[in-house]
Amino acid sequence: MNTLTEQNQGASNYEYVIARIRSRQASLFDDDDYRKLVRMGTAEIARFMEETEYESEMNALGSRYSGVDLVEYALNRNLAKHFDDLLEWCDGRLYDLVARYLRKFDAWNVKTILRGLYSGADREEIEDDLIRAGEFSDRELEQLLAAEEIAEVVDVLSNTMFEEELTAALEDYEDTGTLVALENAADRAFYETLLAGLPTNVESDSATGLYLEFLRGEVDFRNLRNALRIARSGADIDPSEYFIDGGRLFDAEEMNQLVGSLDQLVEHIRESTYGEDLDDALDDLADADALIEFEHALDAALLEYADRLSNRYPLSVCPVLSYILAKEREVDNIRAIARGREAGLEPDAIEQELVIL
Amino acid sequence: MAKDVKPTRKNLMQIEDRIELSERGHDTLEKKRDGLIMEFMDILDQAQDVREDLDDSYDRAQRAINMARAMDGDVAVRGAAAALKEHPELTTQSKNIMGVVVPQIESSKVKKNLDERGYGVLGTSARIDEAADAYEELLEQIILAAEVETAMKKMLEEIETTKRRVNALEFKLLPDLRENQEYIEQKLEEQEREEIFRMKKIKAKKEAEERAEREEEEEEVEAVAADD
Repeated sequence: MNTLTEQNQGASNYEYVIARIRSRQASLFDDDDYRKLVRMGTAEIARFMEETEYESEMNALGSRYSGVDLVEYALNRNLAKHFDDLLEWCDGRLYDLVARYLRKFDAWNVKTILRGLYSGADREEIEDDLIRAGEFSDRELEQLLAAEEIAEVVDVLSNTMFEEELTAALEDYEDTGTLVALENAADRAFYETLLAGLPTNVESDSATGLYLEFLRGEVDFRNLRNALRIARSGADIDPSEYFIDGGRLFDAEEMNQLVGSLDQLVEHIRESTYGEDLDDALDDLADADALIEFEHALDAALLEYADRLSNRYPLSVCPVLSYILAKEREVDNIRAIARGREAGLEPDAIEQELVIL
Repeated sequence: MAKDVKPTRKNLMQIEDRIELSERGHDTLEKKRDGLIMEFMDILDQAQDVREDLDDSYDRAQRAINMARAMDGDVAVRGAAAALKEHPELTTQSKNIMGVVVPQIESSKVKKNLDERGYGVLGTSARIDEAADAYEELLEQIILAAEVETAMKKMLEEIETTKRRVNALEFKLLPDLRENQEYIEQKLEEQEREEIFRMKKIKAKKEAEERAEREEEEEEVEAVAADD
């Protein structure tokens, strides 16, 4: 299996891809659609979805799922279709930049297959939970699904970005019998390749600079989430095992030191470039008992970075990444609304706690 | 009932012994019942607290999982759950409260650290951690509730049994025995009266016979004296 295709060789086709995504962008839900959705019941949401962009997925999955599960599977399938199309359209450097980000779905699929095999789920269940939005082709995913053992999955993934990390983690899995190391390895492989090979000394106001800023933000916020989770858990965990290189917020050593003291960690974030964006959330973090609010603030802050990408360089990777993030946000929001309504949350609570507009 | 008993002194003594034993048993069972009720009230208070905590834990766990399913998706939450194969271990022992054997449940491996839950930390969120945390806490509360509520149920069964025994002694066995005792006593008194009456009759008859004999003798003596 080899995920490096010839598509990332040659010239980028920005004009073509951007023209295609403009039309897709027009069909994204707007604020009014969300306002309507939060006031609907779960059956109404499913009905509403049948009259939108998600019609074909809702109809295709309607015989197997119902209610909010149907909505969630339709959202995932639609997301996969759009991102798969996007990778089909992109050539050259643009393909590489887009694929870097979308490989997180490859990591998702690898983890889903590993978890499925580990828990003894049947093939159909595993297949349903895949999100075919990454770089893996259907044939490659078929090969992975055909594996009968975890070691076989790792073997099938040789010559991919997952090879090194998963092979090292397989030993740990065989010793401990738990998936932690393999799951972390799959995610680490994604984050390690996210920034690998990208220029580091680009102007921050250039298209590549903005793209890099977003990816670094993604890495920083992942490190931040993990540092806070480790600090809160109180468990004897080596923070450096969960550190991802490439961000600007802290290096491995700093993370090791800061995890020991939540106050110092919060102070460090306040003094960083993210301090202003996260100021209110950091105040709440000191008061509240839960990290959920803070994660919500991190998601919102990351999307603010994404918004900066949208219009400044019309013929660059920025509008493409902006579209990807807008589509992900749409899927997240619809799912959050549907699940929120299913759980009986009031529209105001859903708007405040779940939806990021 | 009373008519089935032979009104003999032996039976009366036996019944008196049984009454004495039953009264002693009744007092002991009454004390046991009162003691059990007091223990039960303590357990009831504990069970009410545990139930309240359980309700709170359930609400918290539901909120946490709803939030995780909304923000991360049901597929992600199920996936994270599938990464854990190790189940909590439960061992049961028993303890004795006033003769009632109640279970004592010890649990291990319920609360887990972040790196023991099976799912990777790098690709998951604090929302999933909080849901896992809340469900671990809920499971601990369920185990505690199972222990306390089983003890409460067993205590209730024992109180019910003891109450039935006390009532059976108080309202059935002892009244029956007393009725029998009274019946035998009456019968024996009656027999005694009959005996006395019979004895008096015999005595009177005997006296009459003796008197008649004496008179006859006197008449004979008088007749002999007249002949002389």
